[in-house]
Amino acid sequence: MTARHVAAALVVLAAAGCRRQAAAPLADPSLEALRAEDQAAGLTYAQGQGKHLFDHYCATCHGDEGKGDGQNASNLNPPVPDLTTSKSLADPAYVRRVIAEGSAAVGRSPLSPPWGRSLSPQEIEYLTLYCQRLAVRK
Amino acid sequence: MRDAQLAPPRFHVAFAALGLAYLAIFSWVFFREQGAEWRAAQARFRKLEATVKNPHQLAQSARAAGVRQVWLPDLGRVDRCTTCHLGVDDPAFASAPAPFRSHPGTWLATHPVERYGCTVCHDGQGPATDYAHAGHQPGPGVERAMRPLETIEANCGACHRSLEPKDAPRLAEGRRLVVESGCVACHDIPGFETVSFRGPALDSLGYKVRPEWLEAWLKDPKSTLANSRMGNFRLSPAEISSLRALLLSQKTLAPLEPSGVDWKKADTEKGRALFGELRCVSCHAVNGRGGTMGPELTRIGDKVRRDWLFGYLKDPHREQPETAMLQYRLTDTEVRDLTAFLLDEYRTPGGEAEGAPAPYQDAHAVAEGRSVFVKRGCYGCHQLAGVRETGKIGPSLAGVADRDPEQLPYGGKAVRRTADNYIFLKVQQPDALGAPSLMPTFSFTPAQAATITMALASLRKADLPASRVVKKAPPPPYRPEGRFGELVVRYRCLSCHRIGGSGGDLSTVPLDRIGSQLQHDYLVDYLLNPGAVRVSVEARMPVFHMLKEEAKTIADHAAEVFLDDELDRYDAHFTAAEAGRGEQHYRQLGCVGCHQLNLQGGYVGPDLTNTGKRLRPGWIAAWLMAPNRYKPGTLQPDYGLSAADARALTAYLSGLGSSRNATARAAIARGGARP
Repeated sequence: MTARHVAAALVVLAAAGCRRQAAAPLADPSLEALRAEDQAAGLTYAQGQGKHLFDHYCATCHGDEGKGDGQNASNLNPPVPDLTTSKSLADPAYVRRVIAEGSAAVGRSPLSPPWGRSLSPQEIEYLTLYCQRLAVRK
Repeated sequence: MRDAQLAPPRFHVAFAALGLAYLAIFSWVFFREQGAEWRAAQARFRKLEATVKNPHQLAQSARAAGVRQVWLPDLGRVDRCTTCHLGVDDPAFASAPAPFRSHPGTWLATHPVERYGCTVCHDGQGPATDYAHAGHQPGPGVERAMRPLETIEANCGACHRSLEPKDAPRLAEGRRLVVESGCVACHDIPGFETVSFRGPALDSLGYKVRPEWLEAWLKDPKSTLANSRMGNFRLSPAEISSLRALLLSQKTLAPLEPSGVDWKKADTEKGRALFGELRCVSCHAVNGRGGTMGPELTRIGDKVRRDWLFGYLKDPHREQPETAMLQYRLTDTEVRDLTAFLLDEYRTPGGEAEGAPAPYQDAHAVAEGRSVFVKRGCYGCHQLAGVRETGKIGPSLAGVADRDPEQLPYGGKAVRRTADNYIFLKVQQPDALGAPSLMPTFSFTPAQAATITMALASLRKADLPASRVVKKAPPPPYRPEGRFGELVVRYRCLSCHRIGGSGGDLSTVPLDRIGSQLQHDYLVDYLLNPGAVRVSVEARMPVFHMLKEEAKTIADHAAEVFLDDELDRYDAHFTAAEAGRGEQHYRQLGCVGCHQLNLQGGYVGPDLTNTGKRLRPGWIAAWLMAPNRYKPGTLQPDYGLSAADARALTAYLSGLGSSRNATARAAIARGGARP
């Protein structure tokens, strides 16, 4: 093995190394911008969809973070429960039912109205996911 | 002859070799097919199916065997994805592992696989039957990779052409930004044909603005006004100075003379009170809060001249016929006080006083400015005397999503070659892609640029068959005539309200059936002194300072024209028993959670204390039974009331705020309420 062999081997290795570097995954800035947004919010896509609905339909009473401190909350009796500490949120079927049929359907006050005729099943699904996320986040 | 029939020995060898080669190829193909990814997947699926389903279900289910495909001839697509994704439309596989898991959400209920396939929404290479070639990930040999979930709404937009698509919030946001940023002023964009975008006319700018403000504005509008809709044209100092000369020389229409106005007596406190009463903040933001229909007023004192503002507030339509701003009915003294308040309150503290308008005579600079004005396409948004519009300055964006990604410029950046990335980079930094660009910079955040990218990435080259397109027909233009028409124009009702589908959307109350919804006398009172129907809503109807005669004209017209027979036919002879039952329903349904009644209840919906004087019974009943029909997305829940229950509630609500008994009230509602 001469020095020339070693040099040739090095050149080949270096070339291979260069090629590998060039094949590094390319950036996808448009996608990354959206992922960064989701990440900043700490939400999956479906939860993010649920958040839009929550902000529109629920937040006036339940509060932006689901803590039961929305601007209309002080007018309500019984008071608005804190969703972030509620144990009932663990069961998605229960959450779905309260959203779709109202709190009266599970034997509570009628103040949380039924949204089943206003929202599509898909929207109720999104809302359920987001509500459950609120409980996890604390 | 015998020699010819006997082939020479070397042909025997060749035939034998060919035969062997054929055998080899045949068996290679055979074993390759037998060992294909999808066969293994189907075998795994059959095992899984046996654990998920009981024998009876198994016997009923169509057993997966062979390549499965959805052929959509009208879209030119063949999707074989279901060859492996075998559980996609079967809820029994909701928690199965990939690739057998059923489709999440309820999307397939509205988009069944047989009719839409998979790649219409997801992209990817439908005819392939193995993971790599189907384009699950971008890679070599993949021309169109699947869209990740984050950007999938771009594909919703290919069929769903409405400007506010449901269930696709990012696409909706992107389209809103396209509309709001005025992209249509320079580009033809399919689907946005009904959108127009105009800035103020500049014909009389010499009377309007202060030179130092104009210069700063031309340099970078957003540094002057953070939410300015105008982008930064990256003008050179020479261009700015010639444009400034051109624009300050524009003096087509002198402002209304504030004759007899004594500015020394101007009362800014009265102006402040007017500013609140006229509800200016419904459309104009100050210090970052308020509406966005008009420009922010936080620095208006640095921008405009006093005499111009006086004339504009007195009659905004004289100089800007296309403005959304209404013409209040104010006295000169009131206009003076308001002007003085605005200029005093909203300016940079310690800023220079207004100088006299300089007579710009530099014909050379003006001519130079005119050529800059034309070259940069300013006419796309702004009218200027003597400049003719010569079509949109930017290229059409039709089919931008289908341009060959390899041919697009990326400014030397190490990004994946996709139309998405090109659009994203172009939207964010129009001049950073290698070639000089006339497009202004809008300073979008990355997330904004990405949503705009989604709106534009749905502009495909080949148009879809009409049966696939989901879009409402644009409304016919609405131009009311006569005295009522004059008032609609003066008070700019259509800047906020919709009639026949056309108009603005600041108000959520379309006026098409308002005459059947509201009591005539209530409407007159409301127009004269609009209070807050919903206290939690920030944008309110302005106090127009309307004349009584004008309010009556509008209410009369509403009672004659804006009717809905279905509502008017309602039998409003209620019994006391019905009203009693209605009161019970009111309690049981929890209406008090959102509505005020006798100083009790929530602040989400309207105060119901005077409902009997405010609403007509047919409307109350119809609204309670189907709120989403009249106002999609309303916060009024649909309780699924029966006609009898809705009637009972209507009987109860119609009795609120009226001193007369129910029968007499019914008589009024049926006929007496209209003049």
